[in-house]
Amino acid sequence: MMAEDIQAKLKNYKTAPFDARFPNQNQTRNCFQNYLDFHRCTKVLTAKGADTTPCEWFRRVYKSLCPISWINKWNDQLEEGTFPGKI
Amino acid sequence: MAHQAHAYHMVDPSPWPLTGATAALLMTSGLAIWFHFHSLSLLYLGLTLLLLTMIQWWRDIIREGTFQGHHTPPVQKGLRYGMILFITSEVFFFLGFFWAFYHSSLAPTPELGGCWPPTGINPLDPFEVPLLNTAVLLASGVTVTWAHHSLMEGNRKEAIQALTLTIILGFYFTALQAMEYYEAPFTIADGVYGTTFFVATGFHGLHVIIGSTFLTICLLRQIQYHFTSEHHFGFEAAAWYWHFVDVVWLFLYVSIYWWGS
Repeated sequence: MMAEDIQAKLKNYKTAPFDARFPNQNQTRNCFQNYLDFHRCTKVLTAKGADTTPCEWFRRVYKSLCPISWINKWNDQLEEGTFPGKI
Repeated sequence: MAHQAHAYHMVDPSPWPLTGATAALLMTSGLAIWFHFHSLSLLYLGLTLLLLTMIQWWRDIIREGTFQGHHTPPVQKGLRYGMILFITSEVFFFLGFFWAFYHSSLAPTPELGGCWPPTGINPLDPFEVPLLNTAVLLASGVTVTWAHHSLMEGNRKEAIQALTLTIILGFYFTALQAMEYYEAPFTIADGVYGTTFFVATGFHGLHVIIGSTFLTICLLRQIQYHFTSEHHFGFEAAAWYWHFVDVVWLFLYVSIYWWGS
């Protein structure tokens, strides 16, 4: 049931919806949190050998919100092993 | 023979305000010269002049008050206001550094890993030397109060003992903190954590040294019979300053050492 909801949400995705956790103009944390959550979600689900489709939501959101240079910088850091966030 | 018809102190002309201002100019320009041209001479000159100014100005105040009787009750009241206002200005000075600390630590940026302490920083254990330092300063607050009561009761021997103990505790704090600085796994250059930690605790340490010096002068004056059981404002000012230093430490300990770990 939850899988169908996720698929529906992903199909109807236009852009990142309002997130009450980040109500103010500065959306840095919104971007960063979704980037973290995507990678944490992927890590946990692949460790269990489960389907990582639910993680797609986080990927869509951070792709919508984050400046591309930030995403590239963080991806490079992840590759190098110097990413400061806790995954 | 002309006598004043009021209880206030019309101070004799003195060169020390001018030498102090000159010292300030030499230190500021000296700092700039050091930054750009690597020479410390002007800075050293300024610091020397500052030291000489402080020694001679305060020596003169002691002469005017203790030996010449110029510190009547209204004059003393003015000195009290002055010390209180000065300490208040120092409170605001530290408030700035606490603001900086909370600004950075309450909403840690992605560059830090979005967490506090930042990724890669191993903070000091608040329950080791920092806790001992807290106990040392609290104890010194007790001993300085003991010294004050001894002074007010005319108990010369105990006043000297308690004041000496206070100073020893102050030096113990400084020694422990110096060792902590040496052994710390992070430096002032380690991001905003290092900056806020060392600038805030560093200025506090400087104030401990200033306070210890002030108390030491009081000890020397007490030994030389400057204070009476009714009139010992220099000591009271030193004690107020010392309590202020203690309170700043308590805030530092709770905010930076404990919550910040």
